Amino acid sequence: MHADAEQPQRDQDAQPLLSVRDLQAYYQTSHAGVRRGIRAVDGVSFAVRRGEIYGLAGESSSGKTTLIKSIAGAIRPPLEIVGGSMEFAFLPGYGGLHRAPPAELERIRWRHLSYIMQGSMNVLNPVRRVRSSFVDFAYPHIGGSRRRFEQQVIAHLARVKLDPSVLAAFPHELSGGMRQRAALALATICRPGFIIADEPTTALDVVVQKEVLGMLRGIQRETGSSVLFVTHDMGVHAHITDRLAIMYAGRLVEEAATTEIFGNPLHPYTRHLISSLPRIGDDAPRQGLGGAPPNLADPPSGCRFHPRCPLAREICRREIPVMGESAPGHRVACFAVNQGERA
Amino acid sequence: MAVFLRDLLRYRAEFRIGVALVAAVLLLSVLASFSPYPPDSVYVVPPDLPPSLTYWFGTTSRGQDVFWQLSFAIRNTLLFGGTVALVSRLVALAVGLISGYKGGWLDRVLMSVNDTFIVIPLLPILVLFYFVMRDRISWLMLALIMACFGWAYDARLIRSVVMSLRQREFTQTSLFSGMSTRQILTEEHLPYVMPILFSTTMNNMVWSIGLEVTLAVLGFTDINTPTIGGMIYWANQHTAMVAGIWWWIAFPTITVIMAFIGLFLLAVSVNAHIDPRSRLWSVGGAS
Amino acid sequence: MNGLLLDVREVSKTFTRGGLLSRETIVAVNKVSFQLAVGRPEILAIIGESGSGKTTLARMILNTETPTSGRLLLDGTDLAAISGSGSRRAFMHKVQPIFQNPFESFNPLKRVERYLLMTRRRFSGTAEESTAAAAVDAALHKVGLSLKEVSDRYPHELSGGQLQRVAIARALLAEPKLIVADEPVSMIDASLRMSIVNLFKTLRDDLGISIIYVTHDLATAYYISDRIMIMQKGSVVESGDARTVLKAPRHPYTQQLREAVLLPEVSDPAANVTHGINGPISPAAPERTT
Repeated sequence: MHADAEQPQRDQDAQPLLSVRDLQAYYQTSHAGVRRGIRAVDGVSFAVRRGEIYGLAGESSSGKTTLIKSIAGAIRPPLEIVGGSMEFAFLPGYGGLHRAPPAELERIRWRHLSYIMQGSMNVLNPVRRVRSSFVDFAYPHIGGSRRRFEQQVIAHLARVKLDPSVLAAFPHELSGGMRQRAALALATICRPGFIIADEPTTALDVVVQKEVLGMLRGIQRETGSSVLFVTHDMGVHAHITDRLAIMYAGRLVEEAATTEIFGNPLHPYTRHLISSLPRIGDDAPRQGLGGAPPNLADPPSGCRFHPRCPLAREICRREIPVMGESAPGHRVACFAVNQGERA
Repeated sequence: MAVFLRDLLRYRAEFRIGVALVAAVLLLSVLASFSPYPPDSVYVVPPDLPPSLTYWFGTTSRGQDVFWQLSFAIRNTLLFGGTVALVSRLVALAVGLISGYKGGWLDRVLMSVNDTFIVIPLLPILVLFYFVMRDRISWLMLALIMACFGWAYDARLIRSVVMSLRQREFTQTSLFSGMSTRQILTEEHLPYVMPILFSTTMNNMVWSIGLEVTLAVLGFTDINTPTIGGMIYWANQHTAMVAGIWWWIAFPTITVIMAFIGLFLLAVSVNAHIDPRSRLWSVGGAS
Repeated sequence: MNGLLLDVREVSKTFTRGGLLSRETIVAVNKVSFQLAVGRPEILAIIGESGSGKTTLARMILNTETPTSGRLLLDGTDLAAISGSGSRRAFMHKVQPIFQNPFESFNPLKRVERYLLMTRRRFSGTAEESTAAAAVDAALHKVGLSLKEVSDRYPHELSGGQLQRVAIARALLAEPKLIVADEPVSMIDASLRMSIVNLFKTLRDDLGISIIYVTHDLATAYYISDRIMIMQKGSVVESGDARTVLKAPRHPYTQQLREAVLLPEVSDPAANVTHGINGPISPAAPERTT
């Protein structure tokens, strides 16, 4: 199943690997009898196709972290899934990892679904050598003799340019970049169908970051995995993702092929995000966006972006815009754009 | 601090039980002021009477009413524990704050003194003091000696908290806002230290009362001032258990155990309630 | 008076770590020299990756870290000679910091206006409450806020962007000549970041304040700074006019940094993967553990 990543459009007809439908995830707190809900994810729908890197961009209050937690099944109070479903192709019928029985989760973790986090210390056990992390997570899925497994691990580490000696090291003995590469190797050794990458390179220096991204891209092309790649850094998205969704205040505002998002952004928020990024060699003044990010405990009515939107009009205050397809594969949730009036 | 205590009362059952136990013990100690007999008089009531409506907790072989004697004893014991805790807290706070914030040679000097006090074994020293001082030893002097040994460990704890607070950016903001060291320590850092101070106070009282009772039972204190340990000492002198005067030993023991459990529950619940981040600091997790 | 606002002369800082038996010396900053002129406000970007010594250098300029060797002179005064509250206050009157994490810049248990009023009281010389409030309000207006928006607020009740503005307003209340900003926008959301960056430009142009902008981000450094200094492992490897250096970097390390910047545009998706591993893998130069 070597997907043709250079032309993700071709896979359009294929069944998506992950489809999220109208997901609502709230933080429900009950304080002194008063129930309060922080609507961190509020009606999000999207699908990740086989063999693509699907980017998710958003700021600190956009709800992207909550979305990732929900998809990964890491749902603990006060976070609650209030509505909607998240269906993985390799785990049909449950509508989300949080509803699947533990035995099923055990079966799919690392084999079908793996993670690369910002702090790889979360995956690599800090008090055990790197080797034991591989044995704990990957060996049950790969099986065979320990010798053959070890050879397989060493061959795989070479893909991320790591020497076999890292297996004998403790995570803290490795540099940040090496740790993140070890985490990448661990996440990909079982050739999982789906990888959740949550800000995997944010803590790295730029030179190392570019290297790790290149490795992730290379391995992904080889294995044909789908990746849900989350970061706030638009430069990283431009560099690695095939399709990109922009999240604002708990909802998706725009989704399209990455080239399309950067070449022809439609939503006012996306347009601002892209135009405000400074570039070396470009001396044009950049503007920040006015207003403050919304408070998700009491979000603005209608379109949540309207208080900061240059194109805001009456309807934006009253009604919630739905994602409409402005061009094939390019969805955007904005009244001004969907009615063909662009500033 | 007020919000902190209110939340504790509202959400922590251990804290409520602790407060109830300590309040009961405190009430008993307050009653000492209304005692019909002076504390050091003997043979004021018929000796060896079991608990009854007239003598609630019975009477001793020395002709004292156990209830009133106990109320004096627990008052003195709590006063002793409180004095040790107060004095040692002040030292711990001063050393911890200054050492943690100033760092450098001052920190090294204070911490070497601190560590000396941590490693010196206390009980032999106290026994030695008793043999040197004999009758001149008063409870206040004993309290001060114990306070000298009770601050060191907690000073280290406070120091580690302040060290990590000093690394935080808001300390720099305070500094560049023109605040003096004293202001930064008392206004910016002290609020973070208060919960720790509160819980260590409880632990310190448990520790000092326990040690005082031990010394008193062994007869190494001023036995003429009634304390819980003193009462048990006199009961042992009169072989109360053998003679079946169980109430002479039982009631002081129950009272001091109530005080222990009460203070312990307060300390435990406060510890658990402290912000997890500061819990991390208290073990030196943040650098 | 030698016409220099800041004169950094060959400063070095070494840290020793480890116990009695295995001592290890780390050179955080190695013989760095640069000057800022009086009366010619500019934004100087100090660029480096983690471990480059840029933050240590910034701390030495703020006098919260003392150099192992070399001297720092501010307005002709040697920073090493500052002792006692009077000269310390005079120093802080000239130099003020801005920190990376706006949520950490203020004590979470205290209201933010406390720091504004305190700074005003300590550095203006007048103790009158009404003029202090007016001055605080004026400083907040300079950063696009007002006293009404922040009074009675605790840090967690304000957004990161607002807090960073308050931090800048607080620094302005001391009427400094130099602001040292260590990664001031790296934790600010993208939609708010440029307004903070633009604010630094305004401070330079309208208030005549020089700014030392410590960052790892070449793009914002290019956008606001006049001069830049690239640091690697404690040493300055390249410095000069920001545009010249970033458009045509000469030092290999600067070139490497410049190339690693991920541009926010997709030129040719196929060309993205320069490090792609498609062919057979040769473990020729794998990295070893230390």
